[in-house]
Amino acid sequence: MKQQTKLSEEQQSRLAGTEQQAQQPAAREFATAEELLRFDAEHTTVPPAIARRLQQSTGGATAPKTSWWRKFLGGNL
Amino acid sequence: MNEPAAECEFVAEPPADLASPEFSSLYAENSRAIYYLALRYLSDPQKAEDATHDVFLKAFRKLDQFRGEASLRTWLYRIAINHCQNLRQGWHDRHVFSNADDAVWDNAVAKTDSPLRILETKELGERIQKTLDSLSDEYRLLLLLVADEELSYEQVGALVGQSPDAVRGKLHRARKAFAALFEKTA
Repeated sequence: MKQQTKLSEEQQSRLAGTEQQAQQPAAREFATAEELLRFDAEHTTVPPAIARRLQQSTGGATAPKTSWWRKFLGGNL
Repeated sequence: MNEPAAECEFVAEPPADLASPEFSSLYAENSRAIYYLALRYLSDPQKAEDATHDVFLKAFRKLDQFRGEASLRTWLYRIAINHCQNLRQGWHDRHVFSNADDAVWDNAVAKTDSPLRILETKELGERIQKTLDSLSDEYRLLLLLVADEELSYEQVGALVGQSPDAVRGKLHRARKAFAALFEKTA
């Protein structure tokens, strides 16, 4: 009975340790500043308002005919 | 200052229905890169939003001037850098970076080879912004451009008016400066 209690205490202690570990946030490492910035950029959301404003600003206008689109699409335009 | 949703998982925004499918695709492919540059360079989400709008509007109006000698991303970056630098021009005189950059960071104690360690991403954006704000304009811009994997050192060099070798040299010091300052924000 006593052994059972002891085992139970050990188990409890192990369980507590596991819980503590689970609560600790894992450290994230970045080798360089650029890597960190890249991560930051990937988690940055572009405000949808920009697209809405652009829609209004360009309102109905069509993009000027451009040589670069022809180059870009291999002269199909 | 309102920090953008740096904590959110990136959810691809559907391309806006802009003036043409080509312009929509140009925006969809490059808006995050341009917005991020503006955000971290100007250090103000509202100004970054305005700047991104202005950059794409300018690009829309000048599409016919794009000669295809550079990539579209590089061309947009050039417009964005000019725009942001003009905006910052007025502030620059009031925020003169007094340290002789190179000498200061050459002797910095920071270990450039040791990784930048973060425990949580919460408030990471603020720490990054604080660090970038403490850097000279030159180092800030350099790091932001090099962080874009689509740009080569040659392209970054062309954008900042330096040779690729000069970019590599400055980058080393910029990393060191960033690491030293980032540690202080913990």
